[in-house]
Amino acid sequence: MKRVLIVDDAAFMRASIRTILERNGFEVVGEAENGAIGVKKYQELHPDIVTMDITMPEMTGLEALKQIRSFDPDAKVIMITAMGQEHLVKEAILSGAKSFIVKPFKEDHVIQTLKKI
Amino acid sequence: MADVIDNTIDMEEDTLKGRFLTFSLGSESYGIEVRYVTEIIGMQAITEIPELPEYVKGIINLRGKIIPVMDVRLRFKKEPKEYNDRTCVIVVDINDISIGLIVDTVSEVITIPEEDIVEPPQMNKGFNNRYIKNIGKVGNDVKLLLDCEKLLTADEIETLSEVI
Amino acid sequence: MSDQFLSGHMLDMFVFETTQLLEQLEACILDAEKDGFYSGNAINEIFRIMHTIKGSSAMMRYDGISSLAHSIEDLFYLLREGSSCDVEYSELSDLVLAGVDFIKAQIESIKSGGAAVGDASKLIADNRAFLARLKGSEPGNREPAKQETDTAEPGPDHAGQEQDLARQDDPSGSKYINSFRAVIRFQEDCEMENLRAFSVIHNLEEVAGGIRHVPEDLMSPDASEVIRRDGFTISFRTDCSYVDIHQLLMQTVFLKELELEQTDESEAAQEAGITKPSAGERTADPGEDRAADYGMQSISRDHTSHQNIISVPVAKLDKLMDLMGEFVIAEAMVIQNPDLDGLELNNFQKAAQRLNKITKEIQDMVMSIRMVPLAATFQKMKRVVRDMCKKLGKEADLVIIGEETEVDKNIIEHISDPLVHLVRNALDHGIESTQERLAAGKDKKGTITLEAKSAGGDVLIIVRDDGRGLDREKILQKAREKGMLYRPESEMTDREVFNLILLPSFSTRDDVTEFSGRGVGMDVVVKNIEAIGGSVILDSTPNAGTTVTLKIPLTLAIIDGMNIKVGKAIFTLPTISIKESFRPQAGEAFTDPEGNEMIMVRGNCYPILRMHQYYNISTDITDFTEGIMIMVEHDEKTLCIFADELLGQQQIVVKSLPEYIRQFRKVKGLAGCTLLGDGNISLILDIGGLIYGKDSK
Repeated sequence: MKRVLIVDDAAFMRASIRTILERNGFEVVGEAENGAIGVKKYQELHPDIVTMDITMPEMTGLEALKQIRSFDPDAKVIMITAMGQEHLVKEAILSGAKSFIVKPFKEDHVIQTLKKI
Repeated sequence: MADVIDNTIDMEEDTLKGRFLTFSLGSESYGIEVRYVTEIIGMQAITEIPELPEYVKGIINLRGKIIPVMDVRLRFKKEPKEYNDRTCVIVVDINDISIGLIVDTVSEVITIPEEDIVEPPQMNKGFNNRYIKNIGKVGNDVKLLLDCEKLLTADEIETLSEVI
Repeated sequence: MSDQFLSGHMLDMFVFETTQLLEQLEACILDAEKDGFYSGNAINEIFRIMHTIKGSSAMMRYDGISSLAHSIEDLFYLLREGSSCDVEYSELSDLVLAGVDFIKAQIESIKSGGAAVGDASKLIADNRAFLARLKGSEPGNREPAKQETDTAEPGPDHAGQEQDLARQDDPSGSKYINSFRAVIRFQEDCEMENLRAFSVIHNLEEVAGGIRHVPEDLMSPDASEVIRRDGFTISFRTDCSYVDIHQLLMQTVFLKELELEQTDESEAAQEAGITKPSAGERTADPGEDRAADYGMQSISRDHTSHQNIISVPVAKLDKLMDLMGEFVIAEAMVIQNPDLDGLELNNFQKAAQRLNKITKEIQDMVMSIRMVPLAATFQKMKRVVRDMCKKLGKEADLVIIGEETEVDKNIIEHISDPLVHLVRNALDHGIESTQERLAAGKDKKGTITLEAKSAGGDVLIIVRDDGRGLDREKILQKAREKGMLYRPESEMTDREVFNLILLPSFSTRDDVTEFSGRGVGMDVVVKNIEAIGGSVILDSTPNAGTTVTLKIPLTLAIIDGMNIKVGKAIFTLPTISIKESFRPQAGEAFTDPEGNEMIMVRGNCYPILRMHQYYNISTDITDFTEGIMIMVEHDEKTLCIFADELLGQQQIVVKSLPEYIRQFRKVKGLAGCTLLGDGNISLILDIGGLIYGKDSK
């Protein structure tokens, strides 16, 4: 079973993603509400996959992605983004994000993305 | 009209249909529809509350739930009688209000067929039948069937009649 | 898909979080407005909040909310760039607040089971118009307005990416042996096709060179459209085999179709029809490298410290509170069990003490869980002041003191409306117009102070203004007209006069602003506060202002009580209101000519209330020297209650009297009842009711 860490500042989004993942046989091992905590939890939990919101306080998803990749080059991070953030998504891909999910997302899209990587 | 309503209730409460818990106050025998009754308990320690009508004796602790108790004798303006080990409290639930009714003694649960239930005589002088909905015939006995809702709410009428 | 979210806890969560965010947002705007400009932090925060609301509401299919949030997000996106210097901040605040109000109303509707059907198009249009003006006023006048309005990304091209693409044109691709050409089609609704394509290229770069693709500029606004229509065509050279490449490309997320063929290089270049990008054609974007900005600016968001917090439905807390109450009673039933009377049980006593200590700790914890700071409630008043000032054309500051003071969650809900009312009153009737203030030699800006502080078992919430104060004469006149005076006017203190306006009969709708001061609806405030066991005190000095003090119990359910005995009956007094208890000496008590009993204590004279008389209870103890006198205080009034004896102190769980009992309105001076350790019921005395009840008797 794939172990997932959800990083998003919106509790609603975390719960949405969690609901979708758990229904589809993923194990959500942790949640974090900003990038800094996300990085910390990544080190503690060693999840197989991270879903990472881009816009977050304290530390953005991009910065967190870079930090995670700096100590784990194989980290599988999927960005959660919204229309209008294309340039950030691009930077995320250049920084090693495996894929991205566009909000508002569909269950099927989330699952496809996580299964593909 | 009243019959129509009664019938619908009876249909809903099929198993309890026509079943009455009977109790006595002095020489008279009363009946109360079983669907109102939640339990029957012995006499409890009553906490009196000042400045209430005489017939509201106070409140009791029913397994952590605090409910009021009413002395039905006093409610019917009968002579008060000392409570003894036959005195019972019938706990009823009427429109979501739980209340204990203090009666001399509880008899039994009986079924009274519809055809044996008649309306009480209209306002004979001296016969206080405000709380009596119907009269049930059981063999040679007569059971006065209570109108529970009026038991709780008939106060305005009472105050009015007192004034007159 | 949204169906799965529309019900149950996802909806609750959406409502909860969005409400919180809106409050945060509102506070942010009001602060900014006060400072006269929006700081970088504020702009970032508003942007982020709107971004979150946009996302969440889109998930919930509340499209109105989502598009409105989007339009505000766009505004703040632009402001973040920092290039707009002359922003009309006051108009911006109005726009955002209007948006906040709209979303709030929608949330309310959703909360009560309705749909979010409001029409936001007018607000969105306003926001767009404002955005257009902002852009118009901007130096360098940005080009097309079109995609700004439907994406948050105003200028998608910047110099950075030209370089990225140029890097891919590295002719080093020639060192590879195999050439391929691939056409990728994505699933219809996968969105951001251009970036999905970019991702493919990024992955390919690890193994391939000489990569060329159509569309060539993936970050151009129509790139996704082209890919959706024609597919994404790539040609490249690599050392990998066909199978390897096929496998690699098949991993593409949302891949619908893959055509892959091996080619030779020149052919590939031709077929793909790729020309070198002409870098000179584009004007460099002044706000370039937004990505970096983005990261930097959102990092510093100071005033939200993140603890690990879970949200729990209030119903569960209420249940926990109830259980705690039962627990306290059960504990008393064990420790004070009548079976233990006269037994020497050392170990039992020790264990009982320990149980007692832990119970107390749990209880404190349960209470503290329910405690919420008043901050949010107070912050809401900023908005009230702002709106009222605008409406009335007055100027006033709101000073907030002690907003960290905590009270029970249930209480918060009860004081919010009264507070709004009081603050409105203060502005409407208390604070004078600017001219009037200047004429009176006051600062032209009025001040309303909202203060909270703990005082024993109560919390005091004080609403103070520095306005014109109440007019004793006018109030008396009105009271005379209404026949409300029960004492000679000359004997009434100012305070007593002022407090007349708290009576329900005092104010009517048609004399709203007739007298200076307040009054309209004050009785409603009083009723609300009394419903939670609190009281309202009013004080005022002419020309210096009015102070309304709400005295509110810290919590409702469990209090320290002193049990007293009168005949066979047991009553409980809230310990907090007891000043002292003593056994009077013969001769200390006396009777005035009207038959009122009094007692002299340290030179002060206090009225006596005989419980057995008041409640008509038969007892043998009627002589003061045989019983006990308990001095209680409420609202600065003192009363000595005479009872048979004190039974001792314990924690009690306040239960309300059964509804059937409460309908007999005559029951005075009772706050409720409680279960004692032995299963008996004790009646809790309402000191305020006793004091005032005695007055009127």
